[in-house]
Amino acid sequence: MRWFRFVAFILIAAILQASLLNIIALPPLNIKPNILLIFLVFFAIHFNTTEAIITSFAIGFAADISIGAAMGSQTISYGLFGTALAYLHRVITIRSMPSQALAIFITGCLVGVLTHFLALLKGQSTISNIYTAILGIALYSAIIGPFFFLPAAWFMSIKTHRFGRH
Amino acid sequence: MARMRNKARVPKHNKTVLGSLSRPMLFTWCMLAGLILLFAPQNFTNDLQFAFARLFRWPLTIGKNISLYTRARQPTTDTKFEREPQYRNYIANLEQELREKQRILEKLTKLRSRFYALENAGLIMADIMKYTLNGTQNELTINRGRDDGLAKGQFVLGDNSIIGTITDVSPRTSNVRLFTDPASKIAVRIGNLNVDSLMQGRGNDGAKVLLLPAKYKVSAGDKVMARKTPGFLDAPMIIGTVTSCKRDDQRPIIWDITVKPVCDIEKLKSVTVIIMNPQG
Repeated sequence: MRWFRFVAFILIAAILQASLLNIIALPPLNIKPNILLIFLVFFAIHFNTTEAIITSFAIGFAADISIGAAMGSQTISYGLFGTALAYLHRVITIRSMPSQALAIFITGCLVGVLTHFLALLKGQSTISNIYTAILGIALYSAIIGPFFFLPAAWFMSIKTHRFGRH
Repeated sequence: MARMRNKARVPKHNKTVLGSLSRPMLFTWCMLAGLILLFAPQNFTNDLQFAFARLFRWPLTIGKNISLYTRARQPTTDTKFEREPQYRNYIANLEQELREKQRILEKLTKLRSRFYALENAGLIMADIMKYTLNGTQNELTINRGRDDGLAKGQFVLGDNSIIGTITDVSPRTSNVRLFTDPASKIAVRIGNLNVDSLMQGRGNDGAKVLLLPAKYKVSAGDKVMARKTPGFLDAPMIIGTVTSCKRDDQRPIIWDITVKPVCDIEKLKSVTVIIMNPQG
């Protein structure tokens, strides 16, 4: 793992998430794809478990400081489900685009729900229609997510076809 | 055998060296860090978010501007945009109302800071709806009433001076009896004299101070102050100036003092009502 490259990559993703991605946001709930979620799945299925744990929590922290309202909620959610996905990847291969999309969708839903409950635990209110928003973001991310995997693999200098379960 | 083959596939750069830290321990430490962040004071966590926003202000601003520009260029075919002119007019009216309120607020704030007597008072600005200025009646009708907290007896200011008191209130309007009205009687003090006197209106843009013994030194130009009245006025405020002072023709032991207002009431467009014990 090239860690400096990873930090730069996540910073760019966080900045894009907080600014430029509004272009493709869908009204009326302003639903936009969550590229940090997409990259969470990417790192969980393309790197070994130890690295996946670190990258999951790091991406969660990036989500917290860039788009999060209740600090810590996304660090925990991303870390927990990123790690779970990395362990799951040891027994189930997630290689084809549909399976990657499904992984993004399920992870997005779980991360969204847990983040929502942790925010409530912290006493912070969330938007109305939260579950519609969570589903919308997960679905939108799942549709476009697999197309981000190739440029991400190029940026991280990895050859995706060489990775299997480990 | 299959496991060995899988192991062989792992690229060299994928091996992360973390000393003796096992995966469960790593996960536990990261989770602990997340929990600390979750339960850390809001001030601290806000600082982290602000630091990110400050540090990457430039790319964030560019990204947001690009997205705003793109969204602004999108065609507005949605049916809700058909009502855009209505919303635009509504916003224009609201903006105008806001400006008017700000103007009033600014005026009242200046007034309050100028006079310590008004520090704890509620001040209500009112526009003058009607002037009744003749020899027998000197009154104003203003566009504030009981609903705004106005009550009988409250003092009314015009150009930073007392001009009269509230005599009648309805829910939305009130009558102000000017101190020049023949029915008006207000307790006053002249200049530096430590004597209270009664001032009665004369109906011709002036008033007379009654029964002030001639032993007191009074001269034209002296300021006349409305006396402090608990519940209505916490400190004396100017009401007029002495324009003439001579011995009374019939009773030479008392003064015949004429007082004129210190503001041009006919030119006033709005007044301020002093509410000494504002509710809520």
